[in-house]
Amino acid sequence: MKSQVCTAPPSGPARVYPFSAIVGQELMKLALILNAIEPRTGGVLIRGEKGTAKSTAVRGLAALLPPLSDQHRCGCVAAAPELDSSRCGAVPLGWTAPRRSAPVVTLPLNATEDMVLGGLDFSATLRRGKPVFQPGLLARAHGGILYVDEVNLLDDHLVDIILDAAASGVNVVEREGTTLRHDARFTLVGTMNPEEGDLRPQLLERFGLCVEVGSEQDMEMRVELVERRCGFELDSAGFCHRFEHDEAELSSRLARAREVLPSVRMERRMRSIIGELTRSRNVAGHRADLVIERAASAHAAWNGRRVVAIEDVLAVAEMALIHRGRDALPPPPPPPPQPEPEQEEQNPEQQQQDEAQQPEELDAPHEESSAPPGEQQGPPPEPSAPNPASVPPQRPERQTPDQQFEVGPTFAVKKLVPPDDRLLRRGSGRRSRTRTSQKQGRYVRSRLEGDGRDLALDATLRAAAPHQARRREGSTARTAVIIRRQDWREKVREKRVGCFILFVVDASGSMGARGRMAASKGAILSLLLDAYQKRDRVGMIAFRRNDASVILPPTSSIELAAKLLKDLAVGGRTPLSAGLSRAYELLRVQLRRDPNLRPLAIVITDGKSNVSLGSGSPMDETLRLAGRIGDDRRIHWIVVDTEEPGVVHFELAQRLAGALGAEYFRIDGLRAADLVNVVKGHSS
Amino acid sequence: MKQQVKYPFTAIVGQERMKTGLILTLVNPTLGGILIRGEKGTAKSTAVRGLAEILPWIEVVRDCPFQLSPDERGEACEGCFRATCRESVERGETPERVRRQISVVELPVGATEDRVVGTLDLEYALREGEKLFEPGLLAAAHRGILYVDEVNLLDDHVVDVLLDSAAMGVNTVEREGVSHTHPARFTLVGTMNPEEGELRPQLLDRFGLCVTVRGSLDLEERVEVVERRVAFDEHPKEFAARWQKESEQLSQRMESAIALYPRVTVSRKLIMDISATCLDLGVDGHRGDIIMMKTAKTLAAYQGRTEVTHEDVEEAAELVLPHRVRRQPMQEILEDMRSLRRQAAAR
Repeated sequence: MKSQVCTAPPSGPARVYPFSAIVGQELMKLALILNAIEPRTGGVLIRGEKGTAKSTAVRGLAALLPPLSDQHRCGCVAAAPELDSSRCGAVPLGWTAPRRSAPVVTLPLNATEDMVLGGLDFSATLRRGKPVFQPGLLARAHGGILYVDEVNLLDDHLVDIILDAAASGVNVVEREGTTLRHDARFTLVGTMNPEEGDLRPQLLERFGLCVEVGSEQDMEMRVELVERRCGFELDSAGFCHRFEHDEAELSSRLARAREVLPSVRMERRMRSIIGELTRSRNVAGHRADLVIERAASAHAAWNGRRVVAIEDVLAVAEMALIHRGRDALPPPPPPPPQPEPEQEEQNPEQQQQDEAQQPEELDAPHEESSAPPGEQQGPPPEPSAPNPASVPPQRPERQTPDQQFEVGPTFAVKKLVPPDDRLLRRGSGRRSRTRTSQKQGRYVRSRLEGDGRDLALDATLRAAAPHQARRREGSTARTAVIIRRQDWREKVREKRVGCFILFVVDASGSMGARGRMAASKGAILSLLLDAYQKRDRVGMIAFRRNDASVILPPTSSIELAAKLLKDLAVGGRTPLSAGLSRAYELLRVQLRRDPNLRPLAIVITDGKSNVSLGSGSPMDETLRLAGRIGDDRRIHWIVVDTEEPGVVHFELAQRLAGALGAEYFRIDGLRAADLVNVVKGHSS
Repeated sequence: MKQQVKYPFTAIVGQERMKTGLILTLVNPTLGGILIRGEKGTAKSTAVRGLAEILPWIEVVRDCPFQLSPDERGEACEGCFRATCRESVERGETPERVRRQISVVELPVGATEDRVVGTLDLEYALREGEKLFEPGLLAAAHRGILYVDEVNLLDDHVVDVLLDSAAMGVNTVEREGVSHTHPARFTLVGTMNPEEGELRPQLLDRFGLCVTVRGSLDLEERVEVVERRVAFDEHPKEFAARWQKESEQLSQRMESAIALYPRVTVSRKLIMDISATCLDLGVDGHRGDIIMMKTAKTLAAYQGRTEVTHEDVEEAAELVLPHRVRRQPMQEILEDMRSLRRQAAAR
């Protein structure tokens, strides 16, 4: 059986939409072309919403690449001179491949490590009685494009491997006792939709260029686009024929640029301009400088210049810096709130009033003993009264005891995973044993140890293959392969283990002051977005007036949580102890159901407990309760303090956090810090 | 194979939009499938299973595990386990072909990834010491329908895989020592109950159409629903036979729509309208525009016309846009397109 190393790119009989027929998206097209001219630019990451011709462009690009020359007959032979065809399982002895066009190798999200790097070909090894290497995707992509759709969903470990190879142009395989190096010069193209979560900053930064794509806003172009697409689908042959001339022109221009590239020079002056650019953007490290230099050279070659001009640098700088600059970090996942209909339905006056009333609110946090009309002016515990003169005439909503607040702005949330949980989440390390026995998650690679309960048969066969000739002597086994205990390999599985996040939200009147609830809602929504990306389950408890209630039982419907959050009303006193005890009850039930669960409980409050469960002082009771609950180390607590950073500090929430053994944040503290801090804090 | 009698599609009371949507995706598989959202007991699954009677016919290579059409042979054949067929392909012979209805392949919510994409044939590997690709559900669903009940409960990894192949029309397997590529162009049909969580936006976008179904509020219709169901449960065969004629008529109508579709034209003015609507509503990307236009064309073909009308575009909007309107993060899917579009137009 022949392996498919040397077959045509997976375009099949279906025609590829011509690159030159793509309407708009100039930046993306340029980035792709620059990488095609100079693969060492380090790849392109295309970030953007759905349906913006990302994949179409990548597949179209392949048709433009010059066909591989004779020495590249077979990806693996050309790539690894020391790999003669007797060691490569892909090519039958004496086989010569036809000239082929540049490959586009698609890396499926569920690829296993051995298929990416290459490894032992067990069937060929059995047949020939000596180790035969099976080239991986990296070898096959040599001279062409390696395309990863939805790269943000790919296993981090695989992304690492690929980026390593892309940057160095070499792939080193160390598996099953063989070491092999081969060239792997390919253009790396990744696409991602930020809605599904972002790449880790370290990985983000390793992509040479990054472009953001959006949909076309110009009507004429949109119509043109739709018409072209339909024309293509109805008659692809005719459509491609119409663009043949453009394609040929583009293709030869690309070929010329590739020829010119080695002789393109860059003046010293230009290098200092680049340095100035990267420094002004506060970019860490020197990779950006190098990327700009290479991309600018490619840009010069593309425009037929032999000396890099300032416009070359400027044309590429943004693409190289957008994902590196600390100030220019791509916007966090939530798309900017659009002027969207739901809000329009609500009366805009109320919103205006909310805004208008904020400046006249009390200076310091306060609470109230009941929920009478005008609750915002409840007896404040500290001597900072509102200036009555500035209170505008009575507004209708003042008479209703409950208020609703808009959801404030959202932001990217920093990682809230306790360090000891990361092992569990990552799926490697000791804790994953429990998960492999459940055989859940994606099989990413194999490892030696294990009891064979989750056998990675392919790896096991590879391990056994070289020994077959010896084992066959004197054996009466009827199977083709004789497997011994020492060959056993176990699957290492990776699963994004969602955890359970319980929000314990203070909905008392004091939270209504000074837009605090809006900010809190914004913070909770941000946490919910984060939870969505991590596939967490969520629950929500709100406490106000005299008791706490579960407003959202544990669910994976984040949408429902967001909706409830939006409708959450504020008013009344603060039964913090009731909230805590209700939360603990619910968490205990969850833990009983799944003992492996490591729930995260996030308490959002200003900490001013003023209703007790029993008869004692509410604050003392709360702290005592918190101390007891905090003893249960299975739950990771986080207290988010909503107290205004004003003149007077009660630091009640901080005391609560201390009693619970919780991490303590102010709302602003939840924000993902700048790139560098995140990397430093969580790079281990 | 003797099959259990299914409740006929044509006998479903009401739920016109869902029925239209399903028919359109059968007439034009390039629309990208349909997502049916709704509470329990609203004939979602019944409708999908009932399609059996009216599925279009295709020509396939006999016994081909990849459902290839006779002129589609090629890459997928390499490493195919049906050695006889493979060899005849290599000799350049024309394989035997059969005509059959497209198949509805059900993807169970608990399916493992291996089962979906295909994997190494373990038995063969151990017995013969050779690698062979054992095709999965995606191979079985090629040119047919991949039906996922409770699609919102699908395991994340499986969703990733679906996204991959739905986007490319190709299933690429690089796992466990096997490397295989075969075409996987399927119509994705999903049903879900939104109370149990929404779909990931990426997957949502892959569904060409989206309809929301509800129980009928009309008393007479409700009675009719129950009566028919009871009649079916008591005498399934007789019941199905009574609807035979309707099914045949529908099949014929769909067949002529398939034939007519390539001749349907749209005026530039209407394309402008389509793009303007998508722009106004803030639809991400261009897939919305393209699918809306194709849906309008398919509707016209289904009505036996060769010219798309304004009404076709209006109806297409109801099917194509509900799940594409840009929402506040995690806002619920909108169901009332008409009022939304009025608002957008008023702005």
